[in-house]
Amino acid sequence: MANSELKKEIAGALQNNVLRGALERFSHLYVIAREKAYQGYDFEALRNKVQEIKSYSASHIDEMIDLFEKNATARGAKVFRAANGKEANDYIKKLAQEKNVKKIVKSKSMASEEIHLNEALRADGVEVQETDLGEFIIAIEGKHPSHMVFPAIHLTKEQVADLFTSYTNKKNDPIISKLVKTARSVMRKKFIEADMGISGANIAVAETGTLFMFTNEGNADLTATIPKTHVYVVGIEKLIPKFKDASYILKTLPRNGTAQNITTYVSLYTGATEAYLENGMKGTKDFHIVILDNGRRNILKDEKFRQMFNCVRCGGCINVCPAFQLVGGHVYGGKAYTGGIGTLLTAFLDSEETAGKVQNLCLQCGKCTEVCVGKLQIPEMILELRNRHGQKTGLPFTQKFALDVVSNRRLFHTMLRVASVAQKPFTRGKQVIRHLPMFLSGLTEGRSLPAVAEKPFRDIFPTIEQDVKNPKGTVAIYAGCLLDFVYPRIGEGVVAALNEVGYKVVFPENQSCCGAPATYMGDRENAVKSAILNIQGLEAEKVDYVVSACPTCTHALKEYKELLHDNPEMLKRAEELANKLYDFSKLVTILGGLENKGDGIPLKVTYHDSCHLRRKMGVYQEQRDLLSNTSGIELIEMNESDRCCGFAGSYSIKFPEISVPILERKLRNIADTGAEVVAVDCPGCLMQISGGLDQKDSSKIKVKHTAELLLDKRKKK
Amino acid sequence: MERINQLYDKFKGKFEGVNGECFRVAKSEEIGDLLINILGAKGSKTISLYESPISQSARLREKLTEAGFIVHTDDLFTNTCTDHVGITEVNWGIAELGTMVQIAPEVDKRLCSTLVPIHVALLKTDSILPEMDDVLEKLDSLPQIPGFVGFVTGPSRSSDIERILEIGVHGPEQVILIVTDQ
Repeated sequence: MANSELKKEIAGALQNNVLRGALERFSHLYVIAREKAYQGYDFEALRNKVQEIKSYSASHIDEMIDLFEKNATARGAKVFRAANGKEANDYIKKLAQEKNVKKIVKSKSMASEEIHLNEALRADGVEVQETDLGEFIIAIEGKHPSHMVFPAIHLTKEQVADLFTSYTNKKNDPIISKLVKTARSVMRKKFIEADMGISGANIAVAETGTLFMFTNEGNADLTATIPKTHVYVVGIEKLIPKFKDASYILKTLPRNGTAQNITTYVSLYTGATEAYLENGMKGTKDFHIVILDNGRRNILKDEKFRQMFNCVRCGGCINVCPAFQLVGGHVYGGKAYTGGIGTLLTAFLDSEETAGKVQNLCLQCGKCTEVCVGKLQIPEMILELRNRHGQKTGLPFTQKFALDVVSNRRLFHTMLRVASVAQKPFTRGKQVIRHLPMFLSGLTEGRSLPAVAEKPFRDIFPTIEQDVKNPKGTVAIYAGCLLDFVYPRIGEGVVAALNEVGYKVVFPENQSCCGAPATYMGDRENAVKSAILNIQGLEAEKVDYVVSACPTCTHALKEYKELLHDNPEMLKRAEELANKLYDFSKLVTILGGLENKGDGIPLKVTYHDSCHLRRKMGVYQEQRDLLSNTSGIELIEMNESDRCCGFAGSYSIKFPEISVPILERKLRNIADTGAEVVAVDCPGCLMQISGGLDQKDSSKIKVKHTAELLLDKRKKK
Repeated sequence: MERINQLYDKFKGKFEGVNGECFRVAKSEEIGDLLINILGAKGSKTISLYESPISQSARLREKLTEAGFIVHTDDLFTNTCTDHVGITEVNWGIAELGTMVQIAPEVDKRLCSTLVPIHVALLKTDSILPEMDDVLEKLDSLPQIPGFVGFVTGPSRSSDIERILEIGVHGPEQVILIVTDQ
């Protein structure tokens, strides 16, 4: 899939109001319903167990498969190990031929979608019927699922009625209860006539040979009960060691996937059971289990990705993904798997090329990691995918050029200084740019860009009077590009607060871009260059602490250890830097916090959590305490305070069409609080949110960094 | 008894929360009359019955036949395709979830529980256990895991069209549980 095609897919999805409406409504309901479903259960403890069990299986995979095969075979199952999709398809095709199978019913199996089993069987003239309601609908439509749990979420009841009308040759009214009855009666006949059933499983227990299925509609049980031949297609990642271990997945998968305490049906099949054979005679059914590899062992072999085996396929990650909520599953290009986890699965099990493109849709906000049952670090894996893709294919020229400039301190800083003059025609005397001409216009659609400051922080710093008697120590300030060149006042706030807790601040002149843009665009070479420049420039060895007021920079600086793991001398210095480095609010709190003072003038403030600060650094209470401890400030929490603002660095430039709607939801949440000021701890969020507010001329809400707001409210009058 | 009552009440609350219907009788002899009323009100006429200790002690086949229902106890594949009601016994209830658990390696039992529009389940009150783990423990302690075990929590459902919840898709549209103390 070329980038232009991806863009076209995104545009199409965004124009589909049904899909957007359904996904947005679900995203609100899901969070509340999920929380309710987990009431009285310790989610962290449960997911620790899931992680433990699944990673045990992953590291003992051969033993697990052998055990499962032995135990399932002892109970009358025929187990076939398929190395790839073709072997699996050939086995099932041969079986269908031998048994003279004409009609097959299927209940949801993502593994069989992955290997295109339906197509393979139909090529032999066998009728294959998907029986799950959503799957049935999209099969008539001729599309792939738009969601892992709700495959037909992109369609209205009217569209479904039209599809059913054409399928049954009978007028179907757009009444959901009636449409469901149509599906029931159509499918009933299919179940009764089918001579083979094909299913997927959610869990495979090695010690007993038991398969677990989680379903709601009842089609899976009919598929497994009626036909005299039954085939399961089960990926090797479904194996768990012990029967009772299933408990943890039973308690989490339904709660995470659909916010149900348990699915209507949880069905356990162990070996071949009784079925109706020919002429109404009962006997033992022909029961087959295809254990599918198809690229899964490559996941296991890859240190960075083997945690994917801990995934239980609940879909919780996509339920909270801001990008997925806007575009839905079709955009992800994979046949079976969608969203962030889908991108990773597609890379290993389907198409590396498709995954290479759609991985760009990840905002790196990390929201998925909070709900993931298997504790997968999906954003980190996507970043790794991005890096590998970047190394393999290279970045487009303009991006590469931009990153080369950013990692060259002198050139970059000179350009920024030139920009502060060159931007004048666009700023119209304001501190923002509302419209850019021509191909850059996408950047200023739906939000304004900040203008580059006339005087960067590095020039202002020497003029700041630091009145600290008997300083307790020294802190080096790492400014980062936005603070240095766009928002120097944040820097003044940082200095003032650290002075207040008794520390002197120094500005190491040779600091440069943190390298995050390169890292997030998959350009490791330039990221390493930035790391070395800053380790040498900051000289952490000479100070007690290093402070940054941009969580993305803080995270990037802390990660230098990873980038420089093969450079022992630099690694040592990187570790020292990481140990001394804190984000603004965290450091001020560690150093004793600020005493209660302030101008006392009432000000309603709401707080937006930056993804990096909250989820990478776990800092969310400190800044709230600092703000609440300032007299005059009334802190009002907004809905979804830790939902991404849509900035995500270069993401907002690459995908303004996704970034802007995400921003709009944030702006609505902000407006609902009635606050006069939104406090943030990240200059990127500040730029995004203030840019969005600026385009709404009616909005009087200001956005301020915590450091800047503290400076405003606490400075001596 | 206090504990059994508590577990029953909790089970009933959860079971009704997922659109199940739940009744309790003191003696199995009362099941027949209760069912005649319930099924009569629903206008059901034909029944596939999978005989079990409770159904036999309740003399369901005789009572329902006497009351004018057509009751099938054999040729169940053919009959469950068209009968209105299926009756089976289930092994346990799970109070924390409102879930019924049935061991059913026999195909006829499964057909009577799944292919019919109305499933009537029979259960002994003292077989309602507090938690899902209690059932997993019981299953795990059996000489072997039975060929089929079904956890059923209410009638079949789907939200596949416009995310609107609809009850009654491919599995039963109504699930009625009758719990008997003796």
